[in-house]
Amino acid sequence: MGRLKPLMVRQPRIFWRKNYIFALAFALLLALPFIFTAHFQHHVMIKVLMFTFLGCAWNIIGGYTGQVALGHAAFFGIGAYTSSLCYIWFGLNPWFGMFLGGILAVAVSAVINYPCFRLHGRYFAIATLALGMIIRLLFTNWRLVGGALGVRLPLLPESLWNFQFHTTKLPYYYIALVLCALIFAILYKIERSKLGFYLRAIKESEEAARSLGIDVAKYKLVAMSISVFFTAMAGTLYAQYILYIDPISLMPLMTSILICVVPVLGGAGTLWGPALGAPILLIAIEYSRAWLGGGGRGIDYMIVGAIMVAIIFRPGGLTSFFQGPRFRQWWRRIRG
Amino acid sequence: MKLLEVKGLTKKFAGLVANDSLDLEIDQGEIVGLIGPNGSGKTTFFNCICGVYPVTKGSVRFEGREITNFPAHKICKGGIARTFQLVNTLMNMTALENVMVGAFCRTTNTNRAREIAEELLEFSGLPEKKDILGSDLTIADKKRLEVARALATKPRLLLLDEAMAGLNPTEQKEAVELIRRIQREGITLLVVEHVMQVIMPLCERLVVLDAGKKIAADVPERIANDERVIKAYLGERYYAKRATLRSE
Repeated sequence: MGRLKPLMVRQPRIFWRKNYIFALAFALLLALPFIFTAHFQHHVMIKVLMFTFLGCAWNIIGGYTGQVALGHAAFFGIGAYTSSLCYIWFGLNPWFGMFLGGILAVAVSAVINYPCFRLHGRYFAIATLALGMIIRLLFTNWRLVGGALGVRLPLLPESLWNFQFHTTKLPYYYIALVLCALIFAILYKIERSKLGFYLRAIKESEEAARSLGIDVAKYKLVAMSISVFFTAMAGTLYAQYILYIDPISLMPLMTSILICVVPVLGGAGTLWGPALGAPILLIAIEYSRAWLGGGGRGIDYMIVGAIMVAIIFRPGGLTSFFQGPRFRQWWRRIRG
Repeated sequence: MKLLEVKGLTKKFAGLVANDSLDLEIDQGEIVGLIGPNGSGKTTFFNCICGVYPVTKGSVRFEGREITNFPAHKICKGGIARTFQLVNTLMNMTALENVMVGAFCRTTNTNRAREIAEELLEFSGLPEKKDILGSDLTIADKKRLEVARALATKPRLLLLDEAMAGLNPTEQKEAVELIRRIQREGITLLVVEHVMQVIMPLCERLVVLDAGKKIAADVPERIANDERVIKAYLGERYYAKRATLRSE
């Protein structure tokens, strides 16, 4: 009878029993804001989740596909601006604005990033870096969208529908958590699908990929589109969280670099990489800023710089520590 | 109808004529060998057929369809697969995953792709290597893997670019067996090779290139004794003869 057992039917109860570690971790994440209750701690946790989300989004093009894009802050900004301005101009609910922002980011990236796909390695990185900075300058000088002064979102009564909360930061935390769970599920699926295999093949060798029937330009575009779509979604979350957006704080070079360094520190092209990288980086950055106050300006840059140098010694990132045979053995024992 | 019909194919790199109006016809089910000294344009010829380089002049037809200057991925989808002279293994993917990438050319289902890949690893004699990373395989295994990966795209014509270079005699013998098995599956082969002992008995027809020009095309026995071929490539006449004899 063993032969007839269907392969892919997973019973949920068994799934949770086998993956109780994930269940525990998720429960811990749900309870975390009640363990650390200070406002600032909540702020840091939200930032961590947001950058986990952004790192996962970047991972699709930068990690799995190996195209190191350094202009993602621009799409983060496009997402924030689209939802905010659509609300102010047309009264469009930010939840819809979030998707509209994603679609707009995909359209913009298709126009400006597609030509970049002809470039490789560092040249691709430089081109996307430059494009990201150009978009920031455009926004800074664009009167219609508020120019350098930015956009202030009107205060509304707090509700999930309005995507605004004033008395507590908790809802933002849980929204970010849901978004992270969503992107994890999507990446988990992609990793095991044709798309995931094709993206990894492109990273390894474009020549081999082409010879195996992979339309390299098309799949790079697909990866980039998925990536910037989610990046723009995070932009909306940020705008609704801060309720004020301007090009200088939204699209600095630092954001682009951070979006890239988070998954690279954790392990580029791995599902868990961004979730490992984001807490380390963001906690270090936010706390150095808080403790050192005005005198600490720039410390966060130093931290990112130091981590980038450290990555040279472990190109696989933190997840590469968990991929040895000994760890696997231990993991199998734990999972029973 | 010929399976592959190349007419007047010319490829120029700046001033250098790498392929000079080459003609080649391949019938369904054949094994055709492509030989010639280094730099005679064999790999360029492959790359022109496979859409890696744009062709300067001439035409390529596959199963009656014009495929000249098609992009490489379309050529593969159309039914021509190739291996690389310098192995192009996907280093950070396991052997199984390497072949699965090829299998995804004809299916979108991951389980189906895994089945196809496992079958082909078995077929090419690598079943126990399936979980080994591409970078950890030996050169012989990498070459087999490359063939398995190409086969996973379900080609009707397979181009092998020096699949036996760097292999020891035992490995070469296994590779020959593999090529024969591929032929029995009904796949036509165009093989670039330098190892004469291998290619002479294997191929039904040999095409000889020299400095981008086709200097001979015939059955191996006559090629081995062709004046021009010996002068351009085979070298000593006795060496060529011995090669044919040994194979019999």
